[in-house]
Amino acid sequence: MTEAISKGHIVIDHVGVRFGRNASAVDAVTDVSMEVKPGEFVSIIGPSGCGKSTLLNVVAGFVNPSTGKATLDGKPVEKPGVDRGMVFQQYSLFPWMTVRKNVEFGLKMQGMGATHREEAARTLLGLAGLLSFENHYPDQLSGGMKQRVGIVRALATSPQVLLMDEPFGALDAQTRVVMQEILTNMWQRFRISVMFITHDIEESIFLSDRILVMTARPGRIKAEIVVPLPRPRTPEMIGTPEFGALVQQLRALIREESLAAMGGELKDGGLGGFEIDVGPKGMAELV
Amino acid sequence: MHAITRPAYEEEAVPAGTAEGGASSASVPRAAAAPIAARASAPSVALARTVAWLGMAIPRLLWAALSLGLFIGAWHLATEYRLDFYIRFVNVPGPTEVLGNFSDMLNTSRYYEHVWFSMRRILIGFGIAAALGVLLGLLIGQYKPVRNLLFPVFEVLRPIPAIAWVPMAVMLWPTNETSIVFITFLGSFFPILLNTIHGVGSVDPVLVRAGRCLGAGEAALLRQVILPAALPHIFTGLAIGMGVAWVSLIAAEMISGQYGVGYFTWEAYSLIEYADIVVGMITIGVLGLACSGAIRLVGNLMMPWLPASAGGGK
Repeated sequence: MTEAISKGHIVIDHVGVRFGRNASAVDAVTDVSMEVKPGEFVSIIGPSGCGKSTLLNVVAGFVNPSTGKATLDGKPVEKPGVDRGMVFQQYSLFPWMTVRKNVEFGLKMQGMGATHREEAARTLLGLAGLLSFENHYPDQLSGGMKQRVGIVRALATSPQVLLMDEPFGALDAQTRVVMQEILTNMWQRFRISVMFITHDIEESIFLSDRILVMTARPGRIKAEIVVPLPRPRTPEMIGTPEFGALVQQLRALIREESLAAMGGELKDGGLGGFEIDVGPKGMAELV
Repeated sequence: MHAITRPAYEEEAVPAGTAEGGASSASVPRAAAAPIAARASAPSVALARTVAWLGMAIPRLLWAALSLGLFIGAWHLATEYRLDFYIRFVNVPGPTEVLGNFSDMLNTSRYYEHVWFSMRRILIGFGIAAALGVLLGLLIGQYKPVRNLLFPVFEVLRPIPAIAWVPMAVMLWPTNETSIVFITFLGSFFPILLNTIHGVGSVDPVLVRAGRCLGAGEAALLRQVILPAALPHIFTGLAIGMGVAWVSLIAAEMISGQYGVGYFTWEAYSLIEYADIVVGMITIGVLGLACSGAIRLVGNLMMPWLPASAGGGK
């Protein structure tokens, strides 16, 4: 079933990212080492502002690490490139292009001829069930459809890895569940490495082979959870005790970090002392 | 006004193509497959929309006729009775006189010659301003060094109205014709340049990142991502630029022209052909309107992804 996959090996080696200089400098990420093996689906989860997107942007080539380096199949990452497909949280389709032209864009940049491009784009759109929308403009699509087109567009240039930065973060809960299923199906079909950023625990379990939990800023890898659930993943698995145990485990890990991220001194149990006698005046001051 | 809203297809009919990838997922309840139904009813929606539009359009036309009728009526009365109350209508030609002169004028080749000269100056002056303004706007907006080098000069020159350049233009350029074209160019150049720079500045950064990820180099990024993303702003600049081009052209023609509708209007005053003044004014108004309409039309054609009424700036 699985042919040997040799490409798409991401290695992040002692990477630190510092924004700004001197006194105002902020460490977004410190000393992170991790890897995504060829064909593996790895999620990175953590409280907001923990630097998980920064880490992804290092691999994408948008951010140069202050220390350490990121490599893809042994080559150091220096700038964005077609070997790394990227799906953004914000809708990033070109609004002036139809769905098909969006998918064709990467191929056009590679110099592929118009007829070949069209053929390739139509094949991919067919696989994603979007062929009947090929001549629509992005603004005519719903949010979920836009992100599906975004995934198809990222896959069109046959990248070795797919980098996904909270791609379903802007979608409503129901749509998100459907999109997760579509993504696992597509991933199973294409078998490429995926580095997936999220703050949604269920999402990370449902999709991933492995989950890396990051600490609050400055971000470090705090824990690694291997997801033992078999493939293909189905929505029924979400109800199983095995799934539930993983959720509990991750929730506990992330809760500590969220508290740390929120206040520093707001330790677990500190919330109990958060009962304040709130009169009308006190409320105004609090707000 | 009557923006055509495109149907945003409801989430989320899972395609058959992906369902077969995970066989066991077939039992998941799917959301309704609404999209096809939405398209089937399109003709009846269009019909209803047309009827609604007619319902709004007829009273609007009536109001427009009434408004214009009152204006022309007042004009007629004021000139008929030679009103003189600080504003003097003593020498002002009435609407019938103007209409007579206009229809006579339409039969002379001289009239079309004037129109042609003005239009040619607009086409050349505005054309160069559009090409140069968009090109420089893209470069200044995208590249810091270009901005640092060029923008201060433009900032110094920009507040000087194009008309103020007339004497200088006459000295600079070998013929009157080229100096008038130059004035027209100057008037439209700055609005186009500034709106293009603004357009580049307001391009969503995620689109640029997406372009880079998909392998676009610098040139491709500028031409295929930043330019189309900035087009709505650029067309706003073109629409404003066209208006200023006409203002500058008419002034320049009145001062130093030998042909053109601006010259025609001024000449009519000098020759005491008062009705022809109004003929010239109306001509200028109609030509200006036609040029703005052309910009809007081109804008709508070039930006089919925008809702119909938003294209082409204001």
